[in-house]
Amino acid sequence: MTGPETGAPNTGAAVRLEGIAKRYGAVTAVKPLDLTILGGTLVTLLGPSGCGKTTLLRLIAGLERPSAGRVFIAGQDVTRRSAGERNVSMVFQSYALFPHMDVLANVAYGLVSSGLAKPAAHATAEAALEMVGLKGFGRRLTSELSGGQQQRVAVARALVLEPDVLLFDEPLSNLDARLRRSMREEIRALQQRLGLTVVYVTHDQGEALAVSDRIVVMRDGEIAQAGTPEELYMQPNSVFVATFMGEANHVRGTIERTQDAQAIVTLDCLRMTLPHRGLPTGAVDIVVRPEAIRISGPGGDGLAARVERATYMGSHTEYHLATAVGGLFALAPERLHRRAPGDAVTVTFDTDGVVLVRP
Amino acid sequence: MVIRSLAIAGLLTLSLASPAGAQGALNMLCAPAADWCEGIATSFQRETGINVAMARKSSGEILAQLRAEAQNPRTDVWFGGSTETHITAAEGKLLQAYTSPNMAALHTWAKRSHTQSDGQCVGVSSGAIGITYNRELMARRNLPLPASWLDLLRPEYRGEIQLPNPNSSGTAYTIIAGLIQLWDEERAFDYLRRLHANVNAYTRSGAAPMQAVARGETAIAPSFNMETASMRQAGFPIEIAYPEEGTSYEVACMSIVRGARNPAQARRFYDWYLTPAAMDIGPSVNQWHVPAHPGAAPDPRIPDLSTIRLVDYDFAAFGNSATRRRILERWDREIGSLPR
Amino acid sequence: MAAGSSLFFWLVAAIGGIALPWHMQQAGLGKGSVGALGASNPEAASALWQAVGHGRFWFWPVLASLLPALLGAWPLKDRALRSRFLIAGGALGLAAIALQGMAVGIRGWSWIWLTTLFGELGDRQFGIGIGGAMAVAGFLVLLTDGLALRGLFKGDRFVAGAVGLLVASITVFTFWPVLTVLAQMLIPLGELGVAASLAERLLDRKIWGLACLEFRVNCGVFWNTSLLAISTATLATALGLAFALIVTRSGFPAKRWLRLLTVLPIITPPFVIGLGLILIFGRSGVFNRLVEALFGLELGRWIYGYNGVLLAQVFSFTPTAFLVLIGVVEGISPAMEEASSTLRASPMRTFRAVSLPLMLPGLANAWLVVFIESLADFGNPIVLGGAFGVLSTEIFFAVIGAQQDFGRAAVLAQIMLAMALAAFLIQRRVIGRGSYVSLTGKGDGGLATPLPKPVGRAAYGIAIPWACLTILVYVMAIVGAFVKVWGRDWTPTLDHFRRAFALEWTPEGVILFAGGAWHSLGTTVALATIAAPITAAIGLTAAWLLQRQSFAGRTALEFALMLTFAVPGTVIGVAYILTYNVPPLEITGTAIILIACFVFRNLPVGVRSGVAAMSQLDRSLDEAAAMLGASTFRTLSTVVLPLLKPALVTALVYAFVRAMTTVSAVIFLVSAEYEMATVFIINRVINGDYGLAIAYSAVLIVLMMAAIGLIQLLVGRRNLGRRSGPIALTVAGRA
Repeated sequence: MTGPETGAPNTGAAVRLEGIAKRYGAVTAVKPLDLTILGGTLVTLLGPSGCGKTTLLRLIAGLERPSAGRVFIAGQDVTRRSAGERNVSMVFQSYALFPHMDVLANVAYGLVSSGLAKPAAHATAEAALEMVGLKGFGRRLTSELSGGQQQRVAVARALVLEPDVLLFDEPLSNLDARLRRSMREEIRALQQRLGLTVVYVTHDQGEALAVSDRIVVMRDGEIAQAGTPEELYMQPNSVFVATFMGEANHVRGTIERTQDAQAIVTLDCLRMTLPHRGLPTGAVDIVVRPEAIRISGPGGDGLAARVERATYMGSHTEYHLATAVGGLFALAPERLHRRAPGDAVTVTFDTDGVVLVRP
Repeated sequence: MVIRSLAIAGLLTLSLASPAGAQGALNMLCAPAADWCEGIATSFQRETGINVAMARKSSGEILAQLRAEAQNPRTDVWFGGSTETHITAAEGKLLQAYTSPNMAALHTWAKRSHTQSDGQCVGVSSGAIGITYNRELMARRNLPLPASWLDLLRPEYRGEIQLPNPNSSGTAYTIIAGLIQLWDEERAFDYLRRLHANVNAYTRSGAAPMQAVARGETAIAPSFNMETASMRQAGFPIEIAYPEEGTSYEVACMSIVRGARNPAQARRFYDWYLTPAAMDIGPSVNQWHVPAHPGAAPDPRIPDLSTIRLVDYDFAAFGNSATRRRILERWDREIGSLPR
Repeated sequence: MAAGSSLFFWLVAAIGGIALPWHMQQAGLGKGSVGALGASNPEAASALWQAVGHGRFWFWPVLASLLPALLGAWPLKDRALRSRFLIAGGALGLAAIALQGMAVGIRGWSWIWLTTLFGELGDRQFGIGIGGAMAVAGFLVLLTDGLALRGLFKGDRFVAGAVGLLVASITVFTFWPVLTVLAQMLIPLGELGVAASLAERLLDRKIWGLACLEFRVNCGVFWNTSLLAISTATLATALGLAFALIVTRSGFPAKRWLRLLTVLPIITPPFVIGLGLILIFGRSGVFNRLVEALFGLELGRWIYGYNGVLLAQVFSFTPTAFLVLIGVVEGISPAMEEASSTLRASPMRTFRAVSLPLMLPGLANAWLVVFIESLADFGNPIVLGGAFGVLSTEIFFAVIGAQQDFGRAAVLAQIMLAMALAAFLIQRRVIGRGSYVSLTGKGDGGLATPLPKPVGRAAYGIAIPWACLTILVYVMAIVGAFVKVWGRDWTPTLDHFRRAFALEWTPEGVILFAGGAWHSLGTTVALATIAAPITAAIGLTAAWLLQRQSFAGRTALEFALMLTFAVPGTVIGVAYILTYNVPPLEITGTAIILIACFVFRNLPVGVRSGVAAMSQLDRSLDEAAAMLGASTFRTLSTVVLPLLKPALVTALVYAFVRAMTTVSAVIFLVSAEYEMATVFIINRVINGDYGLAIAYSAVLIVLMMAAIGLIQLLVGRRNLGRRSGPIALTVAGRA
């Protein structure tokens, strides 16, 4: 057995799901879907609770049996194999550290299970602990560790088996905000350093944007959209994805005509030229990122608006604006010259923060 | 693996299960008191070297067990229990006939059980129904002492008499059958109906009323004399009177089970018990049944049947299960349903 | 695991069918088993040799089933093909064994139509032994392996095998006997036809009669039983609640002793309480004599019948209610009561409007548990019932009494079963609707609110006299072991112990167990020691299956498991002796029948404690172990079991204690060789030899306490490194 550090980046499809579906009686948790996860990447399954993301993760893990479809891991059909027979590891939301064993026994558990002699297993486990920064903690009981340390033990325990795929089920949800930020960076760094294939479930879009190579947004048991963080943020294909990936304003406009890849869009008195993304002329949904909204003095060229609420956030200021097309939420970098509620203003959009989506 | 270890555990217990049937074993079901049963088993084992496995059960339980085992008997000998239950078993083809060479020397009543059961059992001991009362309680409550069945109808005894329920107790059946043979069925039931006013309970068990008398829980109860003798020996203030009109009695029987696995040993035991020495075991463990062999050692504590007026009890007629059911049904209808 | 071969179990089946004697051997195993191939006595031969050498053709299908099974057991690549062979081989094998066992019995063909079809068989066979048992086990696991290979049970061989064994054993040891006894209802009465006999038995006035409402006669036994069970349940629940409130919500100084006192009746052999009550409240008892001396009142024989049985049952079952309720009362979050008191509610209003409603599901549960206990109780009614008959004693007397009517016993058993089932179903409803008790331990800060004064006074007023009375009953009873004649001659003596447990030394220095009780004591301890771990193992495995696995028929399995509890002991006893006296499973008179009876009667307790404990274990712990490549068995043994130690202790203790104290079922099952302590005791009680009975009971109590200590020592504690609150094992036995 080689040390976990030597794990070379995988290439090709580490995980492939074909027409996978899961029903519990009359309830469909996951509708038939296909998904391919490339080796050496970190893919996030993102969505609101009940969207089927955890079920999908458990289907990959082998903790659930699919109602239909097949699961391939490292090119092998593992659909009928139990969790233990698949070369995957998982970090649980609750960490699921065995409370009656010390840290070292927890980390070495998988190695001993796969038949490694105890001394060798312990040596490898020590190395894994060192890797997550817990050298010397081996003899403690898990209940004597802080939340962050427990998290690291859970990661070490999963890593030590050198799995084809490492699965994380909302691993940071039990930590406070500050710790969450540093842990997610550590996980990302570890994944990059070891070239791990990781499937990561979260409902926190910030976490997803921060750690992922690719994000799969799920909704009602279906994949709403999959892509890189930028693609999802900049080119969401639905209002749902747009609003889920960060803050977004949703207004309705009209495509007047299209020209090559561009469309002329009117929104009240505002006219914009935007990529039409295959949409026909007629009514269209427009997603506007709050940071793409520019606010200037009254009477300018743009939408007339009135400030309803202004909230000072330190690094920036948040505005709630009333316009003829509805309320808008805007982020302005101003820190000194803030506008007060009741002020009349003019609103324009940076077109790189505006996307057309199918109504 | 758990499955594996469970399987192994199961197999181990299976191998445990084989009954130890070494050469020269005897399986006996025994109805009288445990001390007596144990005494008999040990003595026989000591004298013959035959390994005796004995279980004490009430004769009802024994009959139930023999019925359940009918297809595959595990019992060789049934010792004790009234002639009627043995005859019931014989009707059910559960017993086999055997005539012991030692039988000739027995009392007539013992041999009569043999005849009445078509040779399928032989009387080993006898006892008569008497009226037991608690000496101290009677004195404390200033009650007259009973001397006859009709005495029991006295109004002073109201709520002081306890009887067993014939639905569950063989003793009760013996009492009622005796009354029927003493008078006739109509008169016997008329008597029971009038007696009902004085009865405080019909107990499930036949020995319970006598024990209640011994402990002063009730004043009077008809019961078998041999059990009373044991209680008196234990120091309880219990006395017995034999009704002037006459009383019924029981002959305890011994039989060999049909299809017994150890027939030779069973016959050996049968012969062995019909000797005076074996019959002396009972008194040595505080059991005062009347032995079937006239040669058994006499003892003043053993009731003398010849001084008691006995009814001419027809075991064959009253052991018949149809008769039994008819009498029980009548009892249920006419006595059991009377208001208290 | 699923990929592994099934050769081991094929070998088990094959050895059972080919090499070992198929039938049970009279002389035990040993020399006979070696010559099973080629034995001249067909009963000592293996199935193969019986078929080849003795022309017992009915074994050919059994042996033939080994062939497809072997193809499936071989570790081939093609899983689908293997699973088909395994399923075919396993199912055929089991079916063949069952069919030949049923069809060919001790008198040739067992079914008349076979005789008319083929004529007399001219041969016979006895019950199966080691070979047959191995074959059954082997074929069963081959079948479940095949099902697992098909992807059932998530492809987990272990789960499939465990479910298979569980289902098979419940079928064989519960359903089969119960159906057998129910079939007895159809035995004709005299010349009456089947239907008429059934109707006569079912519509008996002695069961349903209501004449007691008008006259002073006994009502039907159904009404007696219902009345008794309802009043016992109500009183015991009230008392249990009083004790639970005192222990959890008051500053009562002797709480520990109170707890001990309420547990004592559980390890008390039956009859002790009844006998103690007679001595105190009997006509010549202490209490009555005192009243007579002081007030000149004659209380008479009030203890015999309904009153006495009720009193004894309340003594016996209050601990059960207490154990259920203490979990409930402890489980109520103090935060709720604190919230109520900050909302300006008086303590009394808090108790009435918040605490009590929160306890309601728990109270209902306790009530139903006691109801079922009372229904099944045999020891108390037989000692104190007098003329008052209940179903359990009525069944007993229907079988052993002057009537000897198995049919009537079956009808009564049916009614009893229906009542127990109804209570059981209601109970499931009540619990299913969700108790408000939170066991998560989250947000349970705060102190338990002290009881409002009137409630506290009432609780003390009820509980303290009751506790004193319990002590008195025990003292009176135990004294009986040390005096000459109980209730008569109070000279101190150790005679009873000497008679029961005398030891003698032969001149050669060998110990001779001369006392009369040694034999039954040895048997009882041995059988309880064998039965307890089996009960715990099967019970906890079943709990784990029910709690952690999902498979088709899981709910049905759970229901079946709990159902065994609702079958009263008397019914089981009669059913076992009727079922297992004849081939194919001929175990009457052996230790197996007693062990099986203990295991399957007490299994629900193991399951309950396992389920309760398991529901507090985070499911992801097992999943984590599975993800780490641990086999299902390793997960169980290294993760689940160590965390279930408290439940293990509960299951072991209960199984052991119940095996030592049960009467109703075993009274039918004991044999000369395997006599149980309780049956020995009841025989002495019937004989009026109370001294010996009590002395023996006292020894049993001490022995059981020692055993409980030993079990706790052997199993050890969970080491969680944190404050581990007591897992609320609210099983309390018979639910």
